[in-house]
Amino acid sequence: MKYVIYKLKNLSLIKYIINWGRICSMWPVHLTTACCSVEFAALSGPRYDPERFGWLAAVGSLRQSDVLLIEGTVTAKMAQRVRLIYDQMPEPKWVIAMGACAISGGLYAKDSYNVIQGIDDIVPVDVYIPGCPPRPETLFQGILMLRDKIMNEVIR
Amino acid sequence: MVKEEVRSLEIYETGPTLTFSMGPQHPGTGHFRMIITVVGDIVVRCDPDPGFVHRGEEKLCEYKTWITNIPHLERPAILDSAGLVYPYVLAVERLMGVEPPERAKYLRVIMAELQRICSHLYWLGLMGVFAGHATMYMWCFGDREYLVDLTQLIGGQRITHSYFVPGGVRNDAPSKVPTELVKDFRRYYRMMLGKDYPGGEVPEDFRKYVLAVCDFFDTRLDEYYPMLLDSPIFIYRTKGVGVLKREDAISLGVVGPVLRGSGVKSDTRIDEPYDAYPYIKFNVPVMDGCDSYSRMMVGYYEMKESVKIIKQAVEQMPEGPVKLKQHPITIKVPAGEVFASAEAARGQCSFYIRSDGTDRPYRVKICSPSFRNLTAMPYLIRDVRIADIPIIYWSLNYWPVECDR
Repeated sequence: MKYVIYKLKNLSLIKYIINWGRICSMWPVHLTTACCSVEFAALSGPRYDPERFGWLAAVGSLRQSDVLLIEGTVTAKMAQRVRLIYDQMPEPKWVIAMGACAISGGLYAKDSYNVIQGIDDIVPVDVYIPGCPPRPETLFQGILMLRDKIMNEVIR
Repeated sequence: MVKEEVRSLEIYETGPTLTFSMGPQHPGTGHFRMIITVVGDIVVRCDPDPGFVHRGEEKLCEYKTWITNIPHLERPAILDSAGLVYPYVLAVERLMGVEPPERAKYLRVIMAELQRICSHLYWLGLMGVFAGHATMYMWCFGDREYLVDLTQLIGGQRITHSYFVPGGVRNDAPSKVPTELVKDFRRYYRMMLGKDYPGGEVPEDFRKYVLAVCDFFDTRLDEYYPMLLDSPIFIYRTKGVGVLKREDAISLGVVGPVLRGSGVKSDTRIDEPYDAYPYIKFNVPVMDGCDSYSRMMVGYYEMKESVKIIKQAVEQMPEGPVKLKQHPITIKVPAGEVFASAEAARGQCSFYIRSDGTDRPYRVKICSPSFRNLTAMPYLIRDVRIADIPIIYWSLNYWPVECDR
């Protein structure tokens, strides 16, 4: 029975509709780990308006969120909370690593004693957005890449 | 103006207490955690828990050269990159015994004031959001983009420009503004003010363009006042909340708009003038309301003063070189120790640097304004309602990254 439901879900039309619904209501968690949050706030402003791409305002609880946007440096103290927040989010969920610090430690990769060198040790990352900090246009490209990825996903 | 009402709060000394954590994921606190103890909905104790963004900036300074320290020193106060790098550059210059060229002094002042306005707009916008006023966020961030464009025009980056270097600035300001930027500004001018730009064409000359943006922003600031700061709901949410009396402000050692909101006239640009500030006339806004509303109003009037400063600096700026001739990476700094401070957006930022004559600092100590304002937080968030916490928190203009360093 489960196999039949799985097959039904992944018929091309049903799969398309479900994934289309997901990409048009991506709800990020409001987790500001470091300074990239300034550019994320600029992205949410009127010049860029991310709601055109189904990117909702970062309000609401973790139980409603499906995208975790890591905004910059993750320190050893913050890493535990990042994992805790990721575990509390319902499936399906995706992670975007924003900024050089979230990808590899960035400016602090070599010499800092408290910075996690890449968030992919803590949570599985779907899209990496390079920059220090990335411009809002770069963030848009990351969001569009995540949309493409979601559209091609298999429904479990 | 609405009539001010005195609010009384009944404090229940007895009864079961509840301790919970606010942050680091709470939208009202950003990357910062407060451990709150409540009785009913009255907060009886608040323990700040900073350190979520502690990246070891001071230790990092010992591994990098004098010039390569500048990019990572901007990151703690990313909204106000100029504010945190300014005292560092001043300190290194004092150690080296050099003086930047005249034009560089004015360019630094323009950059510092642009960043101050950007930082205050961010502050005002988020304060609006947490007071339940989403329009203020949209207005502030819409206008902020054009000031960020100016920063990008001068420094080449939106917010982290690494523009200040010991002995001047990295590059000169352009003489002409790109046509796309001018067209975009003209469109925005027509959209926001409901009329075309006077004369029809926005000037493409750098000086005239900066003056045009400043005039436009000054007009917009006048529109902010009835929208948010004179709104009865905002006044009721902020008046009499988070009262920090003059004596307490001085004894707690707060700085910047928080100190000036408590009626103390203290500003590093006036007390210990540096660079081009002695040649510029401006006032220091001081409010003696001592509450969250006064602190917000100080920020608002500071933006108006910053616009004046930028206008004067652009008009007085002489021609000439912008940097001393020196090695781009390994500058020579003699042994010694120095202390320098400058007025960042959130208050006085100070650097203590000790050099042993090598190509790297021996010790750097940063005293950031947010770190000094943090001391007021447990004092203010006491005997208030839970709903007042975001208001008090944002009225202090606290930026956790800058505090944690």
